[in-house]
Amino acid sequence: MFCWLLLCTVSWTFAQSHVVKGKITDATTGEPLVMVSVQLKGTTTGTQTDASGNFSINVPNPQGVLTFTYLGYEALSRNIEGNTSLSIVMTKDNKQLDEVVVIGYGEVKKRDLTGSVVSVKGAELRKVPTTNVMESVQGKLPGVDITKSSGASGAKINVTVRGNRSIRADNGPLYIVDGVQYQNIQDINPNDIQSMEVLKDASSTAIYGSRGANGVIIITTRKGATGKPKVSLNSYLGSNEVAGYPAMMTGPQYVALKREAYHTTGRWNSEADDALIFNAAEVNAIQNNLWTNYADLLIHNGLQQDYQVGVTGGSDKTKVYFSLDYFDEKGILKLDRTRRYSARLNIDQTISNTLKAGMQSQVTYYDQNARRDPLNQANKIVPLNGPYDADGNFVLFPNNGSAINPLADEQPNIYQNNARVTRTFINAYVELTPLKGLSLRSNLGVTLDNARQGIFAAKNSIDRSTASTSRSQYNTGAQRYLSWENVANYSHQFGQHTIGITGVASLLSDQRDSSFLQGEGQLLPSQLYYALANSVSGIAVRTNYLSSKLISFTGRVNYNYKGKYLLSLTGRSDGSSKLAPGNKWAFFPSAAAAWRISDESFMHGQKVFSDLKLRASYGIAGNDAVSPYSTASYLSKIPFSYDDTNAALAYGIGSQIGNRGLKWELSATTDVGLDFSVLNGRVGATVDYYDTRTKDLLLQRTLPSSSGVTTVIQNIGKTRNRGIEIGLNTTNISTSKLTWTSNITFSKNKEEIVALADAKTNDVANGWFIGYPVKVYYDYQKLGIWQTDEATEAAKFGYKPGDIKVRDLNGDGALNTQDRMVLGRQVPTWSGGFNNDIRFANFDLNIYVFARIGQYIYSEYAAKFDPQGLENSAPLDYWTPDHATNAYPRPNASVSKDGTPFIKTLGYQDGSFVKIRNISLGYTLPAGALKTVHLSNVRVYVTGKNLITFSKVKDYDPERGGDLSNPLTKMYVAGLNVEF
Amino acid sequence: MKRYYILLILLTSFACNKQLEEYNPSGLTTDQVFSTPEGFETLVNAVYTYNRWWYGKEEGYSISEMGTDLWTSGTGDKYPDITQYINLQASNTVMSGLWKQLYAAINLCNTGIGRIDKAGYTDAVRKTRNAELRFMRAFYYWHIVEMWGGVHFTVDETTGVQTTANRTSVDTFYAQIFRDLDVAINDLPLTTTDYGRATKPVAQAFLARMCLTRGLNARAAVLADSVINNYGYSLQAKYADLWNMSNLQNKEVVWAVNYMKNLVFDDRVDATLYPNGHSRGANNGHLMFIMKYDDLPGMQRDVANGRPFNRYMPSLFLLNLFNEKADARYAATFKQVWYCNNLKTAPAGMKLGDTAIVVTKYAVSNADTAGKKYRTYDRNMVYATGGGGKDRTHYISLQKFDDPTRASVNEEESARDAFIIRLAEMYLIAAEAQFNLGNSAKAAEYINVLRKRAAIAGHEAEMVVTSADISLDFILDERARELAGEQLRWFDLKRTGKLEERIKKYSPDPAAYFQSYHNLRPIPQDQIDAVTNKAEFTQNPGYQ
Repeated sequence: MFCWLLLCTVSWTFAQSHVVKGKITDATTGEPLVMVSVQLKGTTTGTQTDASGNFSINVPNPQGVLTFTYLGYEALSRNIEGNTSLSIVMTKDNKQLDEVVVIGYGEVKKRDLTGSVVSVKGAELRKVPTTNVMESVQGKLPGVDITKSSGASGAKINVTVRGNRSIRADNGPLYIVDGVQYQNIQDINPNDIQSMEVLKDASSTAIYGSRGANGVIIITTRKGATGKPKVSLNSYLGSNEVAGYPAMMTGPQYVALKREAYHTTGRWNSEADDALIFNAAEVNAIQNNLWTNYADLLIHNGLQQDYQVGVTGGSDKTKVYFSLDYFDEKGILKLDRTRRYSARLNIDQTISNTLKAGMQSQVTYYDQNARRDPLNQANKIVPLNGPYDADGNFVLFPNNGSAINPLADEQPNIYQNNARVTRTFINAYVELTPLKGLSLRSNLGVTLDNARQGIFAAKNSIDRSTASTSRSQYNTGAQRYLSWENVANYSHQFGQHTIGITGVASLLSDQRDSSFLQGEGQLLPSQLYYALANSVSGIAVRTNYLSSKLISFTGRVNYNYKGKYLLSLTGRSDGSSKLAPGNKWAFFPSAAAAWRISDESFMHGQKVFSDLKLRASYGIAGNDAVSPYSTASYLSKIPFSYDDTNAALAYGIGSQIGNRGLKWELSATTDVGLDFSVLNGRVGATVDYYDTRTKDLLLQRTLPSSSGVTTVIQNIGKTRNRGIEIGLNTTNISTSKLTWTSNITFSKNKEEIVALADAKTNDVANGWFIGYPVKVYYDYQKLGIWQTDEATEAAKFGYKPGDIKVRDLNGDGALNTQDRMVLGRQVPTWSGGFNNDIRFANFDLNIYVFARIGQYIYSEYAAKFDPQGLENSAPLDYWTPDHATNAYPRPNASVSKDGTPFIKTLGYQDGSFVKIRNISLGYTLPAGALKTVHLSNVRVYVTGKNLITFSKVKDYDPERGGDLSNPLTKMYVAGLNVEF
Repeated sequence: MKRYYILLILLTSFACNKQLEEYNPSGLTTDQVFSTPEGFETLVNAVYTYNRWWYGKEEGYSISEMGTDLWTSGTGDKYPDITQYINLQASNTVMSGLWKQLYAAINLCNTGIGRIDKAGYTDAVRKTRNAELRFMRAFYYWHIVEMWGGVHFTVDETTGVQTTANRTSVDTFYAQIFRDLDVAINDLPLTTTDYGRATKPVAQAFLARMCLTRGLNARAAVLADSVINNYGYSLQAKYADLWNMSNLQNKEVVWAVNYMKNLVFDDRVDATLYPNGHSRGANNGHLMFIMKYDDLPGMQRDVANGRPFNRYMPSLFLLNLFNEKADARYAATFKQVWYCNNLKTAPAGMKLGDTAIVVTKYAVSNADTAGKKYRTYDRNMVYATGGGGKDRTHYISLQKFDDPTRASVNEEESARDAFIIRLAEMYLIAAEAQFNLGNSAKAAEYINVLRKRAAIAGHEAEMVVTSADISLDFILDERARELAGEQLRWFDLKRTGKLEERIKKYSPDPAAYFQSYHNLRPIPQDQIDAVTNKAEFTQNPGYQ
């Protein structure tokens, strides 16, 4: 035995004795390369080059293969073939820079970009299982602020690119799917996406003119490929649970508050007085310690699942991709469920050498049940009761009180809110290339949207608890969105000059009509909203029509000299139907230039930068984001009658007056950017500084109501957004077994209003303040609570100990509206992401941390204080004569919540947070094992989403923004990706 | 070639501009609608709808009835700043809400009066509609000028963006009110088949109120007499009959907001029917004045007893104005006993229909309540020693506006018409005018008509007053007894210059905070914020 071991050792030693030496140099400069990894293929034997590029490695067999890997260079393999000395030349890997990036109406190599564009590949998007693709890039795109709007199933994602520019207009970016505008990003399955590009600076977005003012997100869906068909299956299943939900007062806590409230007025002095302030059932509940936490009864665990199958295939001339997807999300509240079914078919057909045609199409169908928020009811109902009586029967009004049971809507046949949406998206193109370098393309995109929403609320539902009868509503909407674009592209190279010219003519037309039907008091709840004819009262109908058009002509010239000096000029003329006659058309020019410094000969000697590019751009973008018909004044119908049978038509003058001078809102953006990579490409960075000045903002201006109208849409004011965006990619470890790459993003945006109606006057009526962001909190500043020893001081202001104490801002000895101030901003001062991908053997691990810092929220929970104890409150630290605190005022049965001075000041809170957005662990089955079952790739993974949040707000995910309805969720998911 | 190219561009841009014209078949514009007789009718109809923002609404009760000698805050009072003048500021939402609706009404009246000649009416209809519009303009301007004083005034339609407002003297307002009312009285018909439309007697009655306000006592007296004698109005036999839900359109009502049983014709906000409507709609008086009875032993909320919003409680002074042994108005006006309707929470032995709660304006000793199953709230429990509110949750409740015909207990919309002018007011106007003219005896005659009607059978003699009893204060007391809750009190006290005096004397809660500048209301902050001529259009004195 011992001999056998010894023999092994000897043979091992013997085998090591074959030594291979060599030197590795750069192919273009001839300089030695340091720290290149050298490895014997199929083994763990390896080494690295030294400072002069030399290496030495012991190999057991002189016939092996050595692999050389070096970051930023193309990997290389070399047979040893008995050699003991090797001279290795490695060439720089330009793959990253040669990657093609999609830009507006075209594509360029990454190296030739002149604007600020971030590109994300489909594989990156698929890492985190999400309903909405925008969720998966949260914090990964510098300058793009993405938040989840609520925890309800199918909830919307809020996206803002580089801060809010327009005060009134929707600041969401423009989504372009396969070249055509498609605002329903939530329909697109991440598995169908080939790549996603975010265009941020004015020069990149200029070609989209007015629509691109808030940034452009371009999504390219997967295309078919020639060769053996490939099938991919992607599926995940996960459980949702609430990411923290703060509790209201328990029974005893509530009782203590109400006693204190009446103690203040002198009505309650001891428990003997309970019967004076609590009803008999409540007294009984107090004695038996009976109380209910209704939020607990409402919130359950949800379930999310998704099944997708995609097939790519094709012949030489025909390429096809098609996919089917089923998504199902059950929310954390009963009756909250979203189901999405979608099918996609992409075909590209080469007809002749000069003619191509194709079509991308998707049909999406939503079946969505929504729940009317019951948590508001749960949070205010007096807890001293139970939802069921002793026999287990449901009690509609617990304790015979006035508050309806929060569980009411969950009872059979009480409530349903069902939306069904069918959206068909068809985009067909034909492309002619009559000459080399010239292409003519015509694109017709049509989105047809049909929606119907049925709502039934029985007499015993929460919604109808202030009315007498059930109500049924049946609403429909149809939208036709049409985009027709003709694009000409010409590119030509002569000598060292390359020139590309693009011309676009486009027509966009948006037409919607809708109807609203409702009736009340039907006999059978089971008929829901399907038998409105059975309504006995409250019958009402309304129909509506809305349309707008945009016509544009665009031209762009891209020029580069030697690939080092790049220039891009764009001009676009937009005509919008929504603006006033005479102001409908505007011209938006832009220019951008870039200099690839690293390609200059003087850079060849240096070793610091492997890539270095300087970019600068300036451009003007327009915005017409107002509702159609804002230029005219309209009448508004007022229900009226002189008797109970016949309506008398009555039209008042609408509260918004038309503006016959409405014109384009203009944003001028300067962007300077630097792209570089150092340490042989180990660290790559993109840094952008931008400054956007917006003028003629489309504002809804509050008018003096003495004019009889209250608002107008006007071009007023100026805003400025400037900031810095940094994207950093690092390769921390790179060996054949273990790689660790990180991706760090940082965005800081300073948003401020520069002028409103004039440069000095704030618009308090609208909450707009010069020098501050568009969305701020403006109120009195709470200092604390007036204490007993401050009674005289408090009395000077008309208050007494136990009242909320606020700052007398102007020091005039009186507290009034002049003492309000901007308390906080609703936008973050900075946000950032830290993404890590670690690959070890067949395992992959993703850890992603996201931070959003500096924004204020209005916490409904912190403001949940009813000084009378009529409703439940949050368990808060309130003032009593025996308990001095600066947190909450004194309970007082004779002052209502609304009547409590400065009660709103209780809710403002710093909503900064850092969260672990995602931890994902995947395992890819070894290729060998798969071959036998004819699979090419199988990956299984588990993911935890939104796992931990660090913030000053307790038991609550502040990303939600302060609302207690539809809290955000965390998710545990297991998934499977299969390809064959 | 070049020429063709230019031509092509011109043609394209012409075609484009055609494409970019807006098409809005769902919208209606002033020019389209108000230029035909049928269209113009919708304008006149709409002019009447704005009084629904004031009469029978919480905002209206707060601004016209609270902050006087008659009321103080219940626990649920949303606007104690109005009721008790505690830190009453321009930010008060009642002020901005009503201001906005009143000026919207004025603008619609101005639009109509300016356009009526081009509406295509026959002369007869044009005269009537013009008179209605002028009457309504006067009516709305009166609310504005009494509340806010010399604020913004115009008789022209707003056609463009207006960012300024003017300060116009109170006299100019009244001059226009009188001009408009003169046209109205001349041209309005005697009657209408559309209940709620203005008629000649309505205009006369309102002008009587205006004359009294402006010290034109002789004319006020004549006008009041005319309304009393010439149009077939008569007092209801019993005061209580006025508040019966099946007797809403009775002969004592001169003019009312005609709220509908068919709720789709009322003004509640509704995404489909009326997106900018009132948050509650129709008459809400039944919600405001009821004490919190439904959590007391033996009680539960039901339609008959109403939904207690617990907003306002009567001042002790108001209760003490009545000699309830002779004056039937006390029992008709107030509810002080609740009868058991819930055995689950009832004390042992109490049966359905037994007395469950009694609230009394008198002090009651323990001996009086001993052994009683019902719960008693007496004067000393409800009111503090000085007369201010103590237990603001349980009190004698105004029941004039109760509506047991609502379809369910939680229904907020009541079809009860809100009386704007009823005949009894004409007697009080005549009495006050006569008193001001030195004819106390004549004044006593008018008042005795009302007091005799109010007398409990067998107590008529006790109710009769003589000229010696008549004083301005007595007339105001009588108005309180007759009209409590009917949205006139603040105007009455202001007209007589007695707002401060009577608050300080009779109502300790508002007395603690009332200051003489409170005779005018704060101009809404959003109005002040929005005007560009801030130096000219300033806040009323005393407010920040």
